[in-house]
Amino acid sequence: MKLDWSIVWQSRWLLFEGALVTILLTALTMLIAVPGGIVLALMRNSRLKPIALFATGFVELFRNLPLLLLVYWAFYVMPVLTGFGLPPFTTGLVALCLNVSAYNSETFRSGINSIRRGQSEAGLALGMSRLEVFRQIVLPQAWRRVLPILASTWVSLFKDTSLVSVIAVGELAHTAMQIRSQSFRVLEMLTAMAAIYWVLGYPQAKIVDWIHRKYGVRE
Amino acid sequence: MDLDFSPLIDSWRFIASGLGLTIVLSVAAVVCSFVLGLAVGLGRMYGPGWLRVLLVFYIDSMRAIPVFVVLVWIYFAVPIISGHSFDPFWAALIGITIHVAAYVAEVIRAGITSIRKGQTQAGLAIGMSGAQIVRKILLPQATVRMLPAFGSIVSVTIKDTAIAAVIAVPELMRQAETVAGQSYRPIEVFTTVMVIYFLLIFPVTRLIDWFYGRVAHLGRS
Repeated sequence: MKLDWSIVWQSRWLLFEGALVTILLTALTMLIAVPGGIVLALMRNSRLKPIALFATGFVELFRNLPLLLLVYWAFYVMPVLTGFGLPPFTTGLVALCLNVSAYNSETFRSGINSIRRGQSEAGLALGMSRLEVFRQIVLPQAWRRVLPILASTWVSLFKDTSLVSVIAVGELAHTAMQIRSQSFRVLEMLTAMAAIYWVLGYPQAKIVDWIHRKYGVRE
Repeated sequence: MDLDFSPLIDSWRFIASGLGLTIVLSVAAVVCSFVLGLAVGLGRMYGPGWLRVLLVFYIDSMRAIPVFVVLVWIYFAVPIISGHSFDPFWAALIGITIHVAAYVAEVIRAGITSIRKGQTQAGLAIGMSGAQIVRKILLPQATVRMLPAFGSIVSVTIKDTAIAAVIAVPELMRQAETVAGQSYRPIEVFTTVMVIYFLLIFPVTRLIDWFYGRVAHLGRS
């Protein structure tokens, strides 16, 4: 077995770009999926039955599907639904957003429901509107409680972005797999890919632990 | 848009064999990762210092590396080192187990540390050994408390088995890709498989939640 690690150094800029796309994809997904999750959570708590039912169906469906399948599904169904082809990046983003919005919705719902009813009632008694009560009383308190779970979701999402590589989104996993098949330096590239994910992911996992310690709800 | 589900009807045996393998892989992965996770979790809590450092490193690494990366590394890179090629099924089982066991270990640790110290002290006071306290006092209560977290781990594991498709394990996801590719009917095939996965995962998580509702009182202390 002869190993040639120079391939990793030669492709450093490609890998760097791939890592940037991975981070961009993670950040964009979270940016969309946090408001998405809040809206879905509010819809589930809605008094209008059809709205609540739709949101429940949406959340349960996208929470209980393998992401890989969702990625393929978006890849084939989106062009038909929209009538034109979308770049892989957008398709991957949509699949990730569907999945993470569903998760975030559950997170926010439990966060919102954990704020005692008396708080909203007090707000209403002062003459605040329901929207004001939600924005100024419930959400700020719920926010603190859901933060640790959102942080965990962030790390899962960061790892899950590797799955959109199957539809040729040029993120880290896809880039590394491409270089692997072009250079035949399989062991070197796969190890480099794992190492880069580790270097990026390990501090994130540690930060999540810290957020849990700082903000975690204790009995 | 016209839909044509006949390719699915024609190849239902092919799809069903994939579903069978998905179930086998899921059950095997859940069992293996629970056994490994219990060992890692207990070793991380009660093992000697060097072992704890090692296990914390392992757990945090698995939290940082995608399961996709673990799978392709085991399937493509390990044979280069060892000289033996893997059957994809075993590579998938090993990869998923190594990955999920880290999460199981964390859940077990969180469950055990959630039991009040007084319980351990009471056990010590009546002369029980450390192993007895873990086995007879801590684990029985912690197991009940851990059930909801285990439920989500089971559901994550089933979802992770779909990733085995990328190393050509002929499970449900892979069979769906094949049928979709051959029939040029990806929308029908993937939508149907979505329903199948949902019907597989949703009841499992619900069942565990329901069971937890029945036994939750046993975990109170």
